[in-house]
Amino acid sequence: MATISIENVRKNFGAVEVIKGVSFDVADGQFAVLVGPSGCGKSTLLRMIAGLESVTQGDIKLDGKRINDVPPDQRGIAMVFQSYALYPHMTVAENIGFSLDLKKVPKAKIREEVGRVAELLRLSELLDRRPAALSGGQRQRVAIGRAIIKQPRVILFDEPLSNLDATLRVQMRAELQRLHQELRPTIVYVTHDQVEAMTMADTIVVLNQGNVAQWAHPIELYRHPRTTFVATFIGSPRMNLIKGIIASKELTPSFTAAEGWAVPLAGRNLSAADMQPVWLGIRPEDIRLVDANSAADLSGKIAIVERLGAETYVNVIKGTETLLVRVQGDIALRPGDTVRLALDRAGFHLFDQADQVFPA
Amino acid sequence: MIGMRKFTRAEATAYAYLTATLVFCLLPFLWVVLASIDPNASQFLAFPEGITADHFIRIFTANKGGRWFFNSLVTVGAATAIVVIVGGMGGYALSRTDAWWKRPFLYAIILVRVLPPTAIIVPLYKVMLVANVSMGALVRSVVPPDSTRSAMQIFGFVDGYLGLILVLSAMQLPLALWIIKTYFDLTPKDYEEAALMDGANSFQRMHRILVPLALPGLGAAGLLCFIGAWGDFLMPLTFISSAELQLLPIGLFRAFQRATRVDYGYLCALAMLYMLPAVVAFGLARRFLVQTFTGGIKG
Repeated sequence: MATISIENVRKNFGAVEVIKGVSFDVADGQFAVLVGPSGCGKSTLLRMIAGLESVTQGDIKLDGKRINDVPPDQRGIAMVFQSYALYPHMTVAENIGFSLDLKKVPKAKIREEVGRVAELLRLSELLDRRPAALSGGQRQRVAIGRAIIKQPRVILFDEPLSNLDATLRVQMRAELQRLHQELRPTIVYVTHDQVEAMTMADTIVVLNQGNVAQWAHPIELYRHPRTTFVATFIGSPRMNLIKGIIASKELTPSFTAAEGWAVPLAGRNLSAADMQPVWLGIRPEDIRLVDANSAADLSGKIAIVERLGAETYVNVIKGTETLLVRVQGDIALRPGDTVRLALDRAGFHLFDQADQVFPA
Repeated sequence: MIGMRKFTRAEATAYAYLTATLVFCLLPFLWVVLASIDPNASQFLAFPEGITADHFIRIFTANKGGRWFFNSLVTVGAATAIVVIVGGMGGYALSRTDAWWKRPFLYAIILVRVLPPTAIIVPLYKVMLVANVSMGALVRSVVPPDSTRSAMQIFGFVDGYLGLILVLSAMQLPLALWIIKTYFDLTPKDYEEAALMDGANSFQRMHRILVPLALPGLGAAGLLCFIGAWGDFLMPLTFISSAELQLLPIGLFRAFQRATRVDYGYLCALAMLYMLPAVVAFGLARRFLVQTFTGGIKG
């Protein structure tokens, strides 16, 4: 168990700066997820925590102690690789016990420890097999076993579920959460899948182009994204962003979309922002389809209807903008139909031209 | 039906052609096998009237066949060991480095294989001769005068084991580097990093992870090196002159060149002996070849 502090960390590969001054903390026993699109530097950052990449500038601290120059095996950190990297010439038992074998732990003790870990991960039947004779999910569990047998202070996961099929991924997600509850290690987990991040994390660090875009609790990220990047990256389907300007001369300020329609922006102090161009962000579930008798904010034409059974995604075109609407259940609508939309005021997010939340 | 008959005829033709080719290829080999045990072996293929081991016995009694065999095994074996060790480490380094000279270097070393050995043998001999003079001076300063000659038979660059071993391994090293480098290219870095995280030091990573993982590549490179060096004729002919340092291929060649009358039974027995290690090596390392050239690590 340990706390991790990343303090203004930078990483250069030659002339290219891939990590541009990143800071965040992971509390003891927390499940932290680093999430971001490919190339945002999340794996590099994880490898720096592991000690597999050097730190160009800044500090990485474990329990308050700087570990920039501590060799990987002396950091008390274990890592589960994306490829699992199980040694193909060793059995499952040898794979799991390898780190103890290197430490010259007596054979009987290794057997006992491997047995304990195998039981925890339901691998007891497979101990004599080679990795090639295992399924994807079993390999994944062996890789985790190899990490936890060291009783590490921190476990790092590098996109561990990306090689599994969808069903198995959901299963392993639950398995990982169960393990985290039981063993309570500090976990840093890298993924590009925001669903994985949202479902498992205690805290999420969203990375974009080598910077921390936002660092917060999952629901906080979802409710209060601070940039358009976070707003659209977290949440599926993604948040709608509508171009427009603020009109605050009247008693109640309002948002006027580039396509002409307007909505009032009550409860916000926007007096200084008259005529300022902004983005209005609204999640698909905060837009309702309403009938002719109810008040609507705008109307548009349906372009695409995606039926998922429990819910339906409707793409509505208004001028040059496309709005995605999420409707519960199945609805009898067809492309080409005109629909009236009401926007939930509580679901409004405003962002300025620099893509930052507005007013800050 | 007609189509069927036509197909059968085409097939029969193919089989006839293949059989003829097979017989043509196998006949010399069959002649060697038969003649080596035929008491009256001649230059014509004939089924032996009796069976004798006499030719084989003569290799070791009347001639220095045993010594030739030993010389061949020592020099080719040592060259193979050098190639596998140096090629293993070099191949790994070449696979993992991003240095700008990587590609030029890889193409440059393959030139060693491209140049016909006969074309470079004279300058090579000159170089080795110069090196031999220095080695001679060194040996004389260290070893007492009465054992200088036997020391030079081991450490000499010309007419000594060391020189031949180095030349043979230098000839085989480029191909081995390419094979092993390619094999390591297919071996993800993750294994080493996982071992590093598991607490393995660099020796343990090499010994416990890299060598077992690269074994097929090392084995394939070693086999090709052994077979290549074992079959080499020009280098032992050029660099070895003492009778007691003679290698098998030279012994075989001289047996055919005898002034008086060619002893075909003896010649074929010697050829059998010469073929044996290459066949054994192939049998032992065949699976490495298959694994190496059909696609790297599975796991």
